Amino acid sequence: MDADRPVVLSSPATLEPSPSGRGQGEGVAGWTPVGIAGPHPNPLPEGEGVVPGRRRAAPILFAFLLAIAILAAVLSQITVRTDMAEFLPQGRTAAARLVMAEARTGTATGLILIAIEGAPVENLARISRQVAAALPGTGLFQLVAGGEAALPQAEIDMLFAHRYALAPVDWSAGAIRAGMEGLLRQLRSSAAPLAIQYGLADPVGASAVLLRDLAGSSQVRDIGGAWFAPDRDRALLLVRTRAGGMDVKAQEEATAAIETAFRAAEPGPARLLIAGPAVFARDAARAIKSDVERISILSTICIVLLLWWRFRSPLVIAAIAAPVVLSVAVAAAALQIGFGAVHGVALGFGATMLGVSVDYPVLMIGHRKRGEPAGHTRRRIGRAFILAVVTAALGLAAMVFSGFPGLAQLGAFSAVGLATCAVLTWTLLPRLIVAANLAPVAAGDPAWLPVLERLRRWRWFGLLPVAAALAYLLAIGGPRWEGDLDNLSPVPESSRALDQELRGELGAPDAGQILLVRGPNAESVLQRQEALMPVLDRLRAQGALTGFDLAARLLPSAATQQARLAALPDAATLAAWVEQARAGLPFRSEAFQPFLDAVEASRSLQPLRPTDLAGTLIGARLDPMLAPRAEGWQGPVVLHGVTDPAQLKAAFAAQAPSVMYIDMRRELGGILSGYTARAWRWLGWSGVLVLLVLFAGLRSPLMVPRVLGAVLAAMLVTAALLTAFGARLSLIHLVALQLVAGVGLDYVLFFARRQLDAEERARTLRTLVTCNAMTLLTFGLLAACQTPLLRDIGETVACGAVLAMVFAFLFAGEAQAG
Amino acid sequence: MPDLVRRSLILLPVLSWPGLARADAFPLQALMAKLAAVTERRATFREQRKFAALTDTLVSTGTLLYRRPDYLEKDTEWPQPERLVVDGDRVVITLANNDPPHVIPLGGQPEVRAMVESMRGPLSGDFGALQRLFRIDAAGDLASWTLTMTPQDPNALKLLRTVRVAGRGDQIRDIRVIQANGDEQWMQIGPSS
Repeated sequence: MDADRPVVLSSPATLEPSPSGRGQGEGVAGWTPVGIAGPHPNPLPEGEGVVPGRRRAAPILFAFLLAIAILAAVLSQITVRTDMAEFLPQGRTAAARLVMAEARTGTATGLILIAIEGAPVENLARISRQVAAALPGTGLFQLVAGGEAALPQAEIDMLFAHRYALAPVDWSAGAIRAGMEGLLRQLRSSAAPLAIQYGLADPVGASAVLLRDLAGSSQVRDIGGAWFAPDRDRALLLVRTRAGGMDVKAQEEATAAIETAFRAAEPGPARLLIAGPAVFARDAARAIKSDVERISILSTICIVLLLWWRFRSPLVIAAIAAPVVLSVAVAAAALQIGFGAVHGVALGFGATMLGVSVDYPVLMIGHRKRGEPAGHTRRRIGRAFILAVVTAALGLAAMVFSGFPGLAQLGAFSAVGLATCAVLTWTLLPRLIVAANLAPVAAGDPAWLPVLERLRRWRWFGLLPVAAALAYLLAIGGPRWEGDLDNLSPVPESSRALDQELRGELGAPDAGQILLVRGPNAESVLQRQEALMPVLDRLRAQGALTGFDLAARLLPSAATQQARLAALPDAATLAAWVEQARAGLPFRSEAFQPFLDAVEASRSLQPLRPTDLAGTLIGARLDPMLAPRAEGWQGPVVLHGVTDPAQLKAAFAAQAPSVMYIDMRRELGGILSGYTARAWRWLGWSGVLVLLVLFAGLRSPLMVPRVLGAVLAAMLVTAALLTAFGARLSLIHLVALQLVAGVGLDYVLFFARRQLDAEERARTLRTLVTCNAMTLLTFGLLAACQTPLLRDIGETVACGAVLAMVFAFLFAGEAQAG
Repeated sequence: MPDLVRRSLILLPVLSWPGLARADAFPLQALMAKLAAVTERRATFREQRKFAALTDTLVSTGTLLYRRPDYLEKDTEWPQPERLVVDGDRVVITLANNDPPHVIPLGGQPEVRAMVESMRGPLSGDFGALQRLFRIDAAGDLASWTLTMTPQDPNALKLLRTVRVAGRGDQIRDIRVIQANGDEQWMQIGPSS
């Protein structure tokens, strides 16, 4: 057969006998027994060229194109999601689930915080006013606040009409007298025009109570008809989109509308900043998308370049790519079936895992001797290969079973991808490479090998960094741990920091501690809140907290409103009281007729309910404080300045589940530590399994401690380095370290093979260096991502992989080989 | 329920104290130069308030203080002590009892802000702001003059009928604010020191 003939036979290396002496004709039927190698056109001292056969390239190209076609088909069919909800865990306890549901629906409210800065105050105010005026016209926003009217006149009038239902009033001649005296004082003061406007119609001061409750705790300054931050020249606007915060497309539209309105306002040097959960969703989606695109493209380029440098053959690259590409397709399809969708982060991570799974075909091709039947290659590297695949898959167990939805996807994607790639490499690749006569050109017994291997004489110095890492971690009392679940979200830190800042300036900080009040409907929630108010007032008097905000203060329950209206004095009594109170004061007899009329008009009023406030600014204020949920309604009572959580918890313990004291940070921290504990458990179990696999696989109990030691050393030094560079170790680092172990075991197992000739050892070293370089490149790219989760994994694995390579070389190989 | 216009009424008597504006056939430039030459003025005042709802006129007395460029203080001493300070971009009202001072940030009320600027404007030589807010009729001569100001804004007109400021030379002596409902505040100002 023509294809079996050497094309060029000038390299002395091609004259080497086949290693077993019975290579000819062996292997799978039809395999080409003789490798073809030629002189490398540009031989490098440590490079190995590969010369492909000419005729049998077709199967490789066919397999490669088929794999690409399958991947394209799969990618066109799967649903890629980039929202954050996917990434948040569900929580396992009732309180945890509740907190997470709250966090999620909280993020679904479509709230956008807008800041404009970087220009003179007057300009900022003008731009802010123009933006505020332009946004309602787009129809995308439910609420635009931050401009002139704190409340529109119509809403003020509505509240004023309902004042005797909404605010508590002391109905007595004495109270009315006190009110009149107060009014007279106001008429003497600078507030006279205001007092005359409302005081005659409301000498008992119900509207003043309403005003105070409405004012809330906002600290914004008003300058030129725009809200400004309390202590810097920054105009602020608060808008809420009609669409939910998780509707990424609608959020894109909304933020685009804001940007358009901003540009239309001739901003000059002013800058526009936007934040909020809705923007988070958009930013995260954008960051993930750009990360995924960049990683996919760059890691592919890097891997291809590296493989080109190593093998100098497009055919080899095609052969290596076929199983890898196919494995990505299988993994994506598996995720689509298993999870219903593929998260963008998982795709990005999957692209990085190429840097690991590509190891398998590289190991297979890199270890093939010229002219060797595929069966021989497999036999020589078989045990190490299988052990490496099994241990790498075990290394992903912590991720898959972490219970953290996002991580589970990453783990599943990687595990399926790795396993598929390994199986394809084992079964399919040999046929292809033998058919095409692919093999690295051996470089004989290279001069550099003994030099490098002599390093192992001093390998015990390699224990120094390990000892140093151990001493460092012990000295600082173990690595620092991340306790903030937020830091695991795919939202870039800069976005979260801006959000916190703007919330603080708008006087609407994230609720840290709440009493969650639940009920079958809005009315029952409001009634329960009203029942809580005296208890909370008592606790405040005792110093357990400094204050609280709740919906019932803005809008009392219908029952309370009805009770107040029912308690109004009858017309004759009231008129008599007014006359009595007026005695000795300079008010004319008809002065308080507006008051008598207003009380009369109040009697026939229907109580205001949340539905009456729909679409108003007050309604928008009320929204986050009282809202329907999947089961009934809930209204969080936001607690300020809590000094005694235990007392609060105890005070309301009896009322669970309709009233629950929740420390959001603590609960979220608890959820996180739950997942971390679970990750540790899986780390432990997979450690045991790896141990068992190694004992069974290596069949040399003495080798096991060395193999494990090298890997553990890499993990330990990585953890110490991350801590030294200021990272707070999290669940993410933990599973990434496990990935390091999986990858590191690859290296160790291949170095740990015994009684090999120098040529094979050189092949191993070269191949592993190639694998290591690919891992380093791809995970190094991951470390440059905006998405915190991907970045953490990237840093950990890139650092760990290099260390694992070094320790594997030093400790797993034989000191005096050959 | 403070509405911008309504809130601005609180300040009107104070703000219109040195408030002057350009008017035809009136030597405003000369008057302005005179007013601007004074860096600080202090004067006593007597204020009478007439309300339709009251049988009596409310009388109060106290002192006024202006200091360049943007400080204005109205100190009511009798019968009910109160101090109102316009300083920079905010108004602070302090009552004699120990209530916390009531702070009105001027920026929230463009009308109020404009009026503050219009008050500072004359003293520093700028009548533009006042003219944007009021239609101004001037009468008399430099020795004795009267400016009658009517709000330009229809919303303001619903609450405020006219503000009349009278003075002699560089001294403002009399401010009368008539509200749309007929209520009246009349501030007589003593000679500046």
